[in-house]
Amino acid sequence: MVKRKVRLSEILLNSSVFLSTTLSALALGLIFFYVIREGTTLLNWELFTGNYHSRNYIAEFQDEQLQNYDMPDLSKVENVYPVDRFGIVLQEDIDLAGNGVVRVYYVHPDSPFNKMISKEVGTEEVDLDVGMIFQRISYVNHPTSLSRGGAQKFATELSDPQREVYELFFSDLGGGIKGSIITTIYLIFMTLIIAVPFGVLTAIYFNEFAPSNWITKTMRSFIETLTGVPSIIYGLLGITVFVPLTVRFTPAVNSNLIAGALTLSVIILPTIIRTTEESLRVVPDDHRAASLALGANKTQTTFKVVLPQASPGIITATFLGIGRVIGESAALIFVLGAAIKDTVNIYEPSTSLAVHIWSMMTDEPANIALSSTIAILILAIVLVINLSVKIGVKLLTRKGM
Amino acid sequence: MEKVIETQELSLNYGDFNALSNVNLPIYRNKVTALIGPSGCGKSTFLRCLNRMNDLIDNVKVDGIIRFNGEPVQGVGVDVIELRKKVGMVFQKPNPFPMSIFDNVAYGPRQQGIKDKATLKGIVEKALKQAALYNEVKDRMTESATRLSGGQQQRLCIARALAMEPEVLLMDEPTSALDPMATQRIEELIEELKKDYTIVIVTHSMQQAARISDNTAFFLLGEIIEFGQTSEIFANPRDKRTEDYITGRFG
Repeated sequence: MVKRKVRLSEILLNSSVFLSTTLSALALGLIFFYVIREGTTLLNWELFTGNYHSRNYIAEFQDEQLQNYDMPDLSKVENVYPVDRFGIVLQEDIDLAGNGVVRVYYVHPDSPFNKMISKEVGTEEVDLDVGMIFQRISYVNHPTSLSRGGAQKFATELSDPQREVYELFFSDLGGGIKGSIITTIYLIFMTLIIAVPFGVLTAIYFNEFAPSNWITKTMRSFIETLTGVPSIIYGLLGITVFVPLTVRFTPAVNSNLIAGALTLSVIILPTIIRTTEESLRVVPDDHRAASLALGANKTQTTFKVVLPQASPGIITATFLGIGRVIGESAALIFVLGAAIKDTVNIYEPSTSLAVHIWSMMTDEPANIALSSTIAILILAIVLVINLSVKIGVKLLTRKGM
Repeated sequence: MEKVIETQELSLNYGDFNALSNVNLPIYRNKVTALIGPSGCGKSTFLRCLNRMNDLIDNVKVDGIIRFNGEPVQGVGVDVIELRKKVGMVFQKPNPFPMSIFDNVAYGPRQQGIKDKATLKGIVEKALKQAALYNEVKDRMTESATRLSGGQQQRLCIARALAMEPEVLLMDEPTSALDPMATQRIEELIEELKKDYTIVIVTHSMQQAARISDNTAFFLLGEIIEFGQTSEIFANPRDKRTEDYITGRFG
């Protein structure tokens, strides 16, 4: 066997290849690991469907007639504290921000907690629902008790027959991201409806109709440059052009969802134009020639022969656009605002998921757990989108070609 | 013999490059005219003048006269689409559209506004029968055309051109991308099609020209060196250069 001489430079090159790969994989893996470790504790359905803003109630008993209540079997549940005297069960839990709270685990239908009167709005009846949070209980002749004492303290105090409840301060859970999810979905659809037709038609113009001269060449490289412009600059455009425009022509009074969608459309337009153009460019000229030789005109050739073949590219462009919409935050803080909303109105400010993270992280203190949970949701959506692009393109390619 | 197409003093320039000069060539009805010559001699360019496919290329300047059925082909007022309906074309590489077999053949008629399903079906069947492809594909009309073999694809392209019911069929080296068996089938088909159509075929193969054509034109450096009956050209070429080419001394 011939002993091959291994050069030092080759060893160096090879090892740097492996090292770089390992480092990149490690960095990416760590991000995922961190986000998933931080975020999974709060990952539950309530977060996705719940309101962000909790409603507070201050109420007193309407009728203090107590009776014997049959209580549910609690042997299998942890951290629950029954109050037989009032027919309720309290639970030690954490809210969506990760703070310890006292939650209502069970309320007997005949419990006095189920028939209370609000002390704020006259005689409005309020009742305690399962899942609500106990904030404070005030007693007649006894000091007020706060939730930071924990569920057990509340339960012990309430079970004491000496104590008479004066008023109860309780609230909904809150902290949910329902509104931001809805805003994100609105943004995706509105943006695509605006950007995809414009982008595809522009790409058709550049690739099929435009003469090859310095004007189109300049426009092309201009569009190429726009792909790399930081989105905060588009945000400036949004706040100086789209917000005033929407305020002028719609019921909106300040930043709003329409302006957000318009700004995002401008952001994704270059990507859509470029990707579509690329897919139009690979359609064989033979097909155009064959169509024209059959007596079809330019328009027929473009829309019946060329465009269908570019559809995988257009789908890719669309999904890239969706990814961009989901991930955008800087520009949206300008044009859509950072006010988290539970009910979404296209004429009003709201937040997308990414901006929701921004809001959570600028809170005092920063809510890293909830931000990571939203990050998990965003990562999952992006993953699903990528997979569906791959599958969709594969299906289309198999069907057509 | 009736001339379908006639060119007089036809010349063509790509920018500064002179691709054709002073080409005078008659194309006779129901005959197969073969255009032969070495690569770059202008035979394909000439073919593309006949249905004005050269319009697609920038910087092309055509001078001289081309007449189709006595009407001028060049010029601003000419209806190119009407011309291309009458002068069909088959390309070097089989280029079916990535759609079903049926849709491929029905494409041309559909673009002319024919929507009636029964009419389209009739047209497609007739064209496929003429292209000797019908029996092979009649049970798989909805299948993608790209699944066909190369030879079948080329016959499909011929059927697609025939569906427009042209008078002239231009063929630009239609068998150069095919194997010998598929080539033979196309040649037989050309023999058959000659009864109803006028065919102009560009070919690199002298044997093919000798086998299937009635008339042959020999192109060299953008000029026609010799034109005449195929048997005549191959048996007694008048020009030395023609003789050198067909005997394989160059090209």
